Amino acid sequence: MNPYWNAHFFSFLVLFVKRLFLLITGQLPVSELAIDEVQIFAFALIGISCALVGTFLVVRKMTMLANSLSHTILIGIVMAFVLARPLFPQGDQTLNLPLLLLASFLTALVTTCLTEGLIRLFKVQEDAAIGLIFTTLFALGVIAVTLLTRNTHIGVEIIMGNAEALTWHDLKLLLWIFGANTTLYFLVGQRLKLISFDEGFSRSLGMSRNGATYLMMMQVAATAIGGFRAVGVVMILALFTAPILIARLVTYRLERLILMGSAIATVTALVSVALARHTLSCYQVALSTSGLFVTLLLVGYFTVHYGVLIQYGTKDVI
Amino acid sequence: MCLTSSLLGVLVFVKRRSLLSEALSHAAYPGVAISVLLTSMFFAYSEELIALSVLVGASLSSLIGLYLIEKMKSWKVADDAAMTFVLSAFLGVGILLVSYLQQTKALWYQQIQLFLYGQIATMREGHVVIYLALALITLTFVTFFYHLLLSSSFDTTFSRSVGLPIRRLNFISFSLLVLSIVIGIRSVGVVLMSGMLIAPALAAKAWTASLSKMLLLAALFGLISAYFGALLSDGLPMNLPAGPLIVLVAGTIALISLILSPSNGALFRIARILKFRTDILRENILKLAWKNEGRTTTAKIRTLFPTSSLLLKLFLLKMAREGYIEKRGRAIVLTKDGERRAARVVRLHRLWEVYLFDVMGSSEERVHTSACEMEHIITPELEEELSSLLGHPKVDPHKQPIPQEEPL
Repeated sequence: MNPYWNAHFFSFLVLFVKRLFLLITGQLPVSELAIDEVQIFAFALIGISCALVGTFLVVRKMTMLANSLSHTILIGIVMAFVLARPLFPQGDQTLNLPLLLLASFLTALVTTCLTEGLIRLFKVQEDAAIGLIFTTLFALGVIAVTLLTRNTHIGVEIIMGNAEALTWHDLKLLLWIFGANTTLYFLVGQRLKLISFDEGFSRSLGMSRNGATYLMMMQVAATAIGGFRAVGVVMILALFTAPILIARLVTYRLERLILMGSAIATVTALVSVALARHTLSCYQVALSTSGLFVTLLLVGYFTVHYGVLIQYGTKDVI
Repeated sequence: MCLTSSLLGVLVFVKRRSLLSEALSHAAYPGVAISVLLTSMFFAYSEELIALSVLVGASLSSLIGLYLIEKMKSWKVADDAAMTFVLSAFLGVGILLVSYLQQTKALWYQQIQLFLYGQIATMREGHVVIYLALALITLTFVTFFYHLLLSSSFDTTFSRSVGLPIRRLNFISFSLLVLSIVIGIRSVGVVLMSGMLIAPALAAKAWTASLSKMLLLAALFGLISAYFGALLSDGLPMNLPAGPLIVLVAGTIALISLILSPSNGALFRIARILKFRTDILRENILKLAWKNEGRTTTAKIRTLFPTSSLLLKLFLLKMAREGYIEKRGRAIVLTKDGERRAARVVRLHRLWEVYLFDVMGSSEERVHTSACEMEHIITPELEEELSSLLGHPKVDPHKQPIPQEEPL
């Protein structure tokens, strides 16, 4: 029985705070989390991971490469799916963690290599190279999915995400990815910052620009793998960009961008799940929570933009 | 459908905005959802009606997406971030709307899902007529305004200075882009539409540099991929969807074109590089044999120009065939032809040294390395000019004699 059944927006929030307190004090076991809570935690974890990676993507103008990767990851997921069947006949086929991560890293590597190869070897414009590689690979992925599963439903689910099917087991993976991204930020964040803003100087210190690119693509791949079950591979792009762009309206410092981006993602996660529950309780309409999440971010961006405009009367305060 | 999208793809490509099509095709999705939603409120279920209303809705939401991207760019947001933001956020909105529709009207929901990956098999005659009409409109526009598009795509400043309506032209071509996306999403799907815009244009660019030929070729490639994609989807026993197959065929064509392209293709570039390298090696061997007169051996060549011994032996055989060298025991001796060729290389080398030393004022020790590279590049015309510029010198800066030109 879901404790949030028939809860309204505000009663949801109150109940959530109460249960969060119980969870922290250890009176509520993790396995008894309601689906709503799992969703909130999942979205927040993905959101923070995305903020950690996405900030650098935005400042290095690499979001389109991330976009490309989020499409090609479909092949990675299919690959993991294919490999999992003969290797682990009894196991849960969709959730084979090491394989999924391995496959995602491979796809990240292949996508980036192919795109860079097209640009360097064939002298193709960057945008066209990205566009060609990911659409072709994605088409391949869709065909593979159709061949393997006899329907395109899985494909649709990978793109759209299915937040309703999340369980607390998914949170473990997300925690790992969150941990890895945070550690990486503390380890190499300063270097990435230098490479993003002063490439010449960073090169003179012996830092590798390509190394940074590949590292970031790996992070994107891992985060996308973590997020595809919750929000789908396309909407995860919104999480990479939207919180950062909103934060960018009010600050320009990198550390604050990351912090505010994380905060925005967390709050939006809470609000969107509460709203989804609200519409279900009051209007008997079950909306896609992830869709709601992203829509709120879109609305949030323009609200903040015009908010800043009204407050300061100019758009060039920052 | 593929014809129009290929044509428009070229226009987008030359403006270096290929990824915009990706953003716009995703942005069309909420439009699809809204229009189906509205139609379902007021009318009874009819596929033709859906097709029409989706055209309107998808174009509108695509245009809104385009407007937002431009707006965000004017707010100093980097355009890649703006595009990614708009495309993912719009898809999110679309999914939100679709999830609402999914519960209330399942039959209509089925129709929307078609637009995600596209489906050709379920298209009826009504659809075909609508899409054909739109394709014709695009085609007419491109043929009529070809020259305007040409100048506005490649030289915006010039076209503005002769008073072309740039803004209006841009607006029209973007609207056409949106239109072609809207036509395409029914058969290829929202997610793969941009592949149809990019791949044929890229393939065409590999073969030609002229815009008119590019347009024709891209259209041809588009048609080919549509035909074979549909054929594969129909013919193969696996019952694969046509949309991804079409994009896959188009992508393969683009890759093959890039590899085989005569001007910039990888194969030809590698061949050119190889030819250049063998030319240099041949001239270096000749030079060595010329200087050492009869004491040149394979081992000696290898110490100076490191290559694998087997390759070198083959290469020497080839040179003997070409009539430049002869083998006498272990030594390599120049023939008459070889001697003339070698003398020319040495002459160029030393001429260049004189040039660097006399005219450019380089120091004596440093001219040799540069001359080692230039000796392979200088053409006969350049040699003539160089020689007369320097007053037909007889010795180089190291007091070595410069061989005189012999008539062939």
